[in-house]
Order: sequence, then structure tokens, then C-alpha cells
Amino acid sequence: MNERHLDSSQWVDRYGDIMYRFTLLRVKNADSAEEIVQNTFIAAIQSQDKFAGRSTEKSWLFGILKHKIMDHFRSQKRLQNFNLPEESESNSEEYDDSGHWKIFPKDWGLDPEKAAENTELAQKLEECMNGLSDKFRRIFIMKELDGIDSEEICNEFDIKPTNLWVILHRTRSQLKVCLEAHWLGDMK
Amino acid sequence: MQKIRGILKQLKVSCEDISPLISESMDHRVALEKRLRIKFHLLICGACQCYKTQMDIIKNLAKKIGSEDIELKKGSALRPETKEKIKQSLKSIS
Repeated sequence: MNERHLDSSQWVDRYGDIMYRFTLLRVKNADSAEEIVQNTFIAAIQSQDKFAGRSTEKSWLFGILKHKIMDHFRSQKRLQNFNLPEESESNSEEYDDSGHWKIFPKDWGLDPEKAAENTELAQKLEECMNGLSDKFRRIFIMKELDGIDSEEICNEFDIKPTNLWVILHRTRSQLKVCLEAHWLGDMK
Repeated sequence: MQKIRGILKQLKVSCEDISPLISESMDHRVALEKRLRIKFHLLICGACQCYKTQMDIIKNLAKKIGSEDIELKKGSALRPETKEKIKQSLKSIS
């Protein structure tokens, strides 16, 4: 749909589900997600006159939604100002004394370029993301799902780039372990 | 083999040293020295080649599930009564 005018009477039916899904994946909690979607529509109605028709109705609504999701996280102060242990404490349990893998990473038999089409694996990744701590989950989503600049993420959480690289490495490694256990395990 | 691994660790090109660099190189352009260490290590280590492929797969998948248009899976749609509630509240202010 490429509407360049607004028709608020159709919003809920047209975009309600995809906006809810988009939100639920990010905030995890169904009640919060519903509330954010509702608040987005309300904010959109109140600022309809600012819609200039430069974008589609859908991307305009998603723009507002993304702000609302960001506001939601900013209001959760507990996610801010966390410190990370030193790099040396990183996942050393994965390696032996000579720095070699204890458990070798497996060949998943997938072409990375085509992996995104694998809906089953995508769903497993979503499930595995739920096993991450809130902070790591949030950072991973901002970086990899939303494509937000590293600099902006560092500012948002008041961390140094080196911390960010460590967090992302640990997060990816955790997701890899989870996928190997739950997806690869199912295939065999 | 154990001896070679010991040397690799001393040179900071063991798997433990390289896997964080593989991840980091996905996030920004790392220094030449780091790039060379990664390259060298990947030439001789099949396990880390698999690791790198896994990281690429996770990155591409993450981008996909983050998109606005991904197919709806079960249980991820608004409940009908919620839709009705939102519609009513929109009507009352528009």
C-alpha cells in the first residue's frame, strides 16, 4: 500500500497487526506493545496536519512508532548506566587453555546470503533473543534489527565503543550457541 | 598440534583472540593489523571459518526479522477486542 494521504479510519485494520508485531518483538511485553501501538495512532491523529505526503502513510506511522518504542525504553531507567566487566572476563569458558574452541563451531550448511529466507531459523532466532538479558537484547536489536549507528547506541547507553564491541560479540556468541542447540538439534 | 596452538596464542592469533575480532569487524572497519590477524587465522582455521559464517547468518537473519514487512506469525496479531478498543479511542478524538 502506497497511500500518500491519510485515512485514519483504516489504520487499525491496515497496520495494527504489523505495528503490533514490530513492537512486541522489541518490547517483549504484550500489554506494553498494545499500549505503544495505541499511543502511536493517537499521536498520529493529533499530528495529521504535519503529514506532508513525502512518505507513505505506512512509513509515516512506523516513524512515529519507532519514536514511541524509544520513549518506552528511555522511561525504563534501569536499562541505563550499566557497566560491563572487563574484556578479560569475556566468555573464556568457550576456549581451552591454548585459546582453542572447546566445542568446535559447526557448519550450518547455509549460505549467509540466503539464510534470511529461512523462516524457521528466523523464528528460532527470535526465540533465542528472548534468552538474552534485557540490556544485551536491547542493544542487539538497535544494532542489528534497526540498523542504528554504533555511535548513537553508545550515547544512548553511555558506553564506550570497545564496550559495545564486547557486548555484541557476547550476544552473537550466545545466540549462536542457542541456535546450535535448538535449531540444529531439531534438524537432526 | 598443542605446540602450534601455544604459539598461536602467544602471537594473539588463537581462536579466543580472533572470534571477538571477527565480530568487531562486522560493526566497524577495524585497523589493518587486526584485519591481517583475522585473515591469517581464517586461512588455517576451519572452526573459525564456520564461526564467521554463523555470525553472517545471524546478522542477515536479524536484519530480516527487524523489518516492517515480515510475515505475521501466530500469536503476534492484535486481539480483536484490542483493535475495537483502539478504534473507539481514535474515533473519540478525531
